[in-house]
Amino acid sequence: MFSKEKIIYAYTVEKCNQCNLERKRKFKEGDFLFAETSKCDSCNGMTIIEKIFGETIEK
Amino acid sequence: MCLLDFTNIDFDQLFGLKDDTNPIMMLIWIVPIIIFVFYGQRIQLTITSGEIKNGIKKLEDYKTKSRNELIDYIKKNMNPKDDPTKKIDRFLDYFTIMPVDMDPNGIVAKVRHIVRARENYSREHIKSLSPQTSDLELTKIQTLLEIATSLQMIYKVINHLFLTAKKHNNYPLILPLQMILPFILEEAEAMHKAIPAFKMGQPIGDGIGPMIVGKMMLDTKKESITFQTVLSETQYDGRKLFLLKAEGPGSTVGRPGDAVESIVFKNKPDIIIMVDAALKMEGEESATIAQGFGAAIGGIGTERFQIEDIATKNNIPIFAIVIKQSVQEAITLMTKEIAGKADNVRLQIYEMIHDNTKPGQSILLIGVGNTMGVSQ
Repeated sequence: MFSKEKIIYAYTVEKCNQCNLERKRKFKEGDFLFAETSKCDSCNGMTIIEKIFGETIEK
Repeated sequence: MCLLDFTNIDFDQLFGLKDDTNPIMMLIWIVPIIIFVFYGQRIQLTITSGEIKNGIKKLEDYKTKSRNELIDYIKKNMNPKDDPTKKIDRFLDYFTIMPVDMDPNGIVAKVRHIVRARENYSREHIKSLSPQTSDLELTKIQTLLEIATSLQMIYKVINHLFLTAKKHNNYPLILPLQMILPFILEEAEAMHKAIPAFKMGQPIGDGIGPMIVGKMMLDTKKESITFQTVLSETQYDGRKLFLLKAEGPGSTVGRPGDAVESIVFKNKPDIIIMVDAALKMEGEESATIAQGFGAAIGGIGTERFQIEDIATKNNIPIFAIVIKQSVQEAITLMTKEIAGKADNVRLQIYEMIHDNTKPGQSILLIGVGNTMGVSQ
């Protein structure tokens, strides 16, 4: 009956270009698509930012 | 105890239905008719005014908030020596006079000249606030300024129309305003909600085209072909692929028209494929993909004119792939659904290349849209 408050949370998805392992985390300022971020936890390859998107959560 | 008998009411007697000359009934029917004949428009004007006033209040709120957020952002990120408030207020009042269209011949070049002169002017003057500001920050501030200017202009125009109608007690004048206000409010709300994404440097829905082409550009040699526009070359299944997009991760759409002119002049491609975000119709699902023909590019129309002109003169077919979204989705943080379609669109591009070209031919692929938060 009453409209719920909608909050958008921004997420960043990092993907390893060797083992394709994906990791989703909260977006932080300075993130941009295809930027190299860190070494992969599983294979030591480089991870790049594959996606940045917002997810709406109703409260 | 006295009990009222509600079962024995004579309605005919109560409302005087049996007697046509009942004076009370005559008054009940005739007085409102007289009031509505003489004051109907004023009553409607008063009722409609209330709704419009609420809308204008929202527009004023968006205008004020966007201005304040822009000034705060400049103070925080540019560290200007002097208070930028006066200068920003002057920027917000800038207007653009479009060229005379009585003789439309050559009007596109004139519009392009005026729009670019305005862009160059505002870029230089924002930079003058603090010359050491990075290009990335400059593009963000320029977009925030565009948003604040647009919201200010929308508020001023709508308020002017409303006050004019009220001043003359002119109901027909307020009708078109009542009709367009929901659409104006939708766009203004979308612009207001876009501010956080631009401040944070996040990709917006319109950035899906640059996102798709940007990924294909990874590990290729990129060159700056025109202002804020990058080109790279790669091979796909025996075909030469020219990839074009605005230079990210700043907030810009680049100059694809000039870039296409330059590419076609040097290496005439056999087909052009344009990938862009498109406005969905009401009832359509968001993030659906559609293919078609023609130049998929929005904006004021000058870039589209230029691309269509070059393609026509050189007999190059233009194919389009669009990702549907609402106005709000197009200019706010990219949704998960839209971002999730990137791989699917890339597959459709390869399929399109296979279906429409032969090995040895060349393709120009353009990722159209604002490349905020999307590098290459």
